[in-house]
Amino acid sequence: MAAINRLLPFGFVAALLVAWEIAARSGRWSKLLFPSLSSVLNEVVAFFTSSALLMEAWVTLERALGGFALAAVVGILLGVVMGRSKFVAGLLDPLFSGTYAVPKLALFPIFIFVFGIGSLSKVALVFLECLYPIVIMTYAGARDVNRALLWSAQNMGASRAAILRRVVIPATAPFIFAGFRVAVPVAMIVVVITEMVSSADGLGYRVIYAMASLRTDRMLAVVVVIAALGYLLDKAVVLARDRLIYWEKLDTYYV
Amino acid sequence: MAKSGSYHPGVLRFAHVVLLATVLVAWQLAALAGLPQFILSPLEIGKHFFAALGTREFYEDVAASLGRSLPGFALGAALGAALGLAAGVARWFDRLLSPAVFLTYPVPKIVMLPIFMIWFGIGDLSKVLIIALACFYPVFINAYYGVRQTRTILVWSALNMGASPAQVFRRVVLPSAAPMIFAGLRVSLALSFIVMFAAEMINARSGLGHMIRVAENSLRFDLMYVSLAAIAILGYAGDRLVRLGQSRLLAWQQ
Repeated sequence: MAAINRLLPFGFVAALLVAWEIAARSGRWSKLLFPSLSSVLNEVVAFFTSSALLMEAWVTLERALGGFALAAVVGILLGVVMGRSKFVAGLLDPLFSGTYAVPKLALFPIFIFVFGIGSLSKVALVFLECLYPIVIMTYAGARDVNRALLWSAQNMGASRAAILRRVVIPATAPFIFAGFRVAVPVAMIVVVITEMVSSADGLGYRVIYAMASLRTDRMLAVVVVIAALGYLLDKAVVLARDRLIYWEKLDTYYV
Repeated sequence: MAKSGSYHPGVLRFAHVVLLATVLVAWQLAALAGLPQFILSPLEIGKHFFAALGTREFYEDVAASLGRSLPGFALGAALGAALGLAAGVARWFDRLLSPAVFLTYPVPKIVMLPIFMIWFGIGDLSKVLIIALACFYPVFINAYYGVRQTRTILVWSALNMGASPAQVFRRVVLPSAAPMIFAGLRVSLALSFIVMFAAEMINARSGLGHMIRVAENSLRFDLMYVSLAAIAILGYAGDRLVRLGQSRLLAWQQ
């Protein structure tokens, strides 16, 4: 029974894939609608053997990680300062929570005029979208550092810098990673969207290009690559978290 | 404002006003000194926005956008809540569905738009469905963990007092999962606007995303800012509505 239970999800996915293949091979629908899985797989293999296509993946990854890294640096800084200074928090918190639900994507056309149509406008938008979860999570963590720990550090004569480095940052780290966990998929979403909307390179552009050339199988192959990239980036964050914050176990998906 | 501690609320409010006024005045002054053509001054943006409020096209675009994002959000959120609750309660369903959901969670759902366009046409249906797909995940995951973190002692006491499983679900599990579900709804609603805007920028004949594309291509910077202001207001208002609903429905939380 336990074995059946463990195999159930795989069986579910396998059933879906088999149903897809049958639908594709039945000839009832055009190849444009349902390309067979084997043709998609072929295109995936073609993707990984073509250095030009791998470069497209690299361009996308570079933009996503560049914007994310900038957001991480600025976001952690802002979040920690907000958590430690009530005045700064009172000043900036309404700004962040007020504009949190506003789709920053709408700024993209203006960013194109300001930063140009190349990578910079995309990196800037990724930065902006990733900043929010990181600032909000870091702030929440830095604000609620255990008082007793702060007091004992002070009592033992720790300087402000030492307290920040030895108490505040470690206590905030799990929250920072929770923010990262939200921000990484956001970075991928924003990059792909901006590349789909206006770009001449990157994976998002490849999706649109494949669709425009009526190659559904190729398009699905790029989608598979993007999905794998999103999945791997998320796993990388979890891995880094488990290494760095070994003292706290990750028990829910979010925090 | 209790968290503000030693600072008097008045001091902060004053600081907010000063900050906002400084930014706006500096922006306006910079515009007077000569900003690039594509950066409008706050006064110009206000003027264009209020002018647009008097045109029929503006409301048609807003209606088209909401006509895509709200049904998509409703569909995705309803499915996410129902399936997330089911997966949280029933172990076999959890085993069946959750691995697939968690595996595909970090994937940007917007890449499915071209495929949806091929399957469901380039009309509104494909956009509604892609928005629903994107909105499904946060609600599902939050509902799932909301159920999972129900305190077992509450469930036991309810069962001890003779509650049926249906009653336990309705009186114990659902209320304790509700705050998490609302957190998921907030994320999903924000996401629905993003995906709607993206889908309209990629391919649409109406809506705010389409409006901003047209404005961009014809260098109508005024329209660009009108669309931006409209989507900002919609996003903000939607978020406030969800929070209002939460504080009404979950009054016991505060």
